[in-house]
Amino acid sequence: MSDRIKSIVFAFALCIVCSVLLTTASTMLQPSQAKNIQTDRKKNILMAISLIDANRKYTAAEIDRLYKENIYKYFVDQNGTIIDQTATRDMAKDELLPIYLAMDKNNKIRSYIIPVESRGLWGKIYGYLALQNDGTTIAGFTVYKHSETPGLGGEIETRWFQKNFVGKKIVSQNNNFVSISIAKGRASDIVPSEKLPNYVDGISGATLTGQYLTKGLQKILSEYEPASVRFRQNVIQCRMQTELPWCDNEKQK
Amino acid sequence: MKNKNNALSVFLRPIWSENPINIQMLGICSALAVTVQLKTALVMALSMTFVVSCSSFMISLLRKQIPKNIRIIVELSIISTFVILTDEFLRAYFYDISKQLSVFVGLIITNCIVMGRAESFALSNPPHLSFIDGVGNGFGYGSVLLAVAFIRELLGSGKCFGMQVVPDYFYSMGYENAGFMLLAPAAFIIIGLLVWLQKSLTKDRDLSR
Repeated sequence: MSDRIKSIVFAFALCIVCSVLLTTASTMLQPSQAKNIQTDRKKNILMAISLIDANRKYTAAEIDRLYKENIYKYFVDQNGTIIDQTATRDMAKDELLPIYLAMDKNNKIRSYIIPVESRGLWGKIYGYLALQNDGTTIAGFTVYKHSETPGLGGEIETRWFQKNFVGKKIVSQNNNFVSISIAKGRASDIVPSEKLPNYVDGISGATLTGQYLTKGLQKILSEYEPASVRFRQNVIQCRMQTELPWCDNEKQK
Repeated sequence: MKNKNNALSVFLRPIWSENPINIQMLGICSALAVTVQLKTALVMALSMTFVVSCSSFMISLLRKQIPKNIRIIVELSIISTFVILTDEFLRAYFYDISKQLSVFVGLIITNCIVMGRAESFALSNPPHLSFIDGVGNGFGYGSVLLAVAFIRELLGSGKCFGMQVVPDYFYSMGYENAGFMLLAPAAFIIIGLLVWLQKSLTKDRDLSR
């Protein structure tokens, strides 16, 4: 056998062995990978409303249970109406935004959680922003996927950064929507005190990540603004822990 | 240096006298990227050790069969197969770790150390020695990584493995973290200083050779 044929045969055999190995590994591990991703997202939703402690380890089953007991996935349309998943069948998908409702024991909405997808410095930033049922106060913020520089922009996934969001407002003192911004450095040093509720401390060395995230949050929050308005007017009422969960968007005043 | 390839010397050589980063100047790019925190540096060092030892072992097993003219491509395929397998495995069973590693697992493929060991050692040595050589190189690489990460994390964020070690009263007295340490150029400078340190420590031996 000449050298050339030997090389071709060897390369061919190697390709087959490697691809079989990789395909097998990928197909076999796919289900547990998908499950890990699901659990991680649920964990982040629960973390955004402080239902789980960030310092404790939870098993996948615990997270599933907590999620099932507390979180309900719904959709909002462009008017801010909260719609049941079953009612969305004949509606154009791109007009609907997913929303997660966190209920308390008395069947009242404690907070609502919106998925965040923002541009970052190196790639997209994915996370969740939870708002309290008053439609103005941030209950929590988490990031579950990003490609920012570790130690710099990557700090957005740490608790100290995310904790800063809790209690901040997305409206100004006159109740106008202003979104939430990430300051360049410590917010109290550079932002006038009347605007302080709309700013969180930035990460030193990660100004650009902060700017992109500020823009992303503003875009997303303004998309959900119609729903937030309804929460501010306190006209949404839901019953979830019954056999037939429903949401009433126009509570009689 | 000239003694025969016994297992111990194969293991020790890459840790000190032929250290992949300090002496051979390989794998610098990943050393800049992952040394902001000790935790990522440690995980990177461990995955790197796994990949370089396993791929050296495989390549050494096949060394008599691999045709000379396509050997680089063959080495690359074997290495990247191992890297992807590691990545898939981590994502399935150690999701939290794989999240922290994110892009770094991919960086292993581009790490010159793996290719370098395959080319210069695994192709001409038996599998068990190649495996030990891989482990040694992983440790040699990892020890420099950890040293750099320790300095950068301590001076850059006042922490050690994520724990605050610089006490609060230092900050109230006006001490500030050196933000520069978090940027890549700082790693360049620290690695440069480490190279200088090692070169001056081994100077006598080099002269006598």
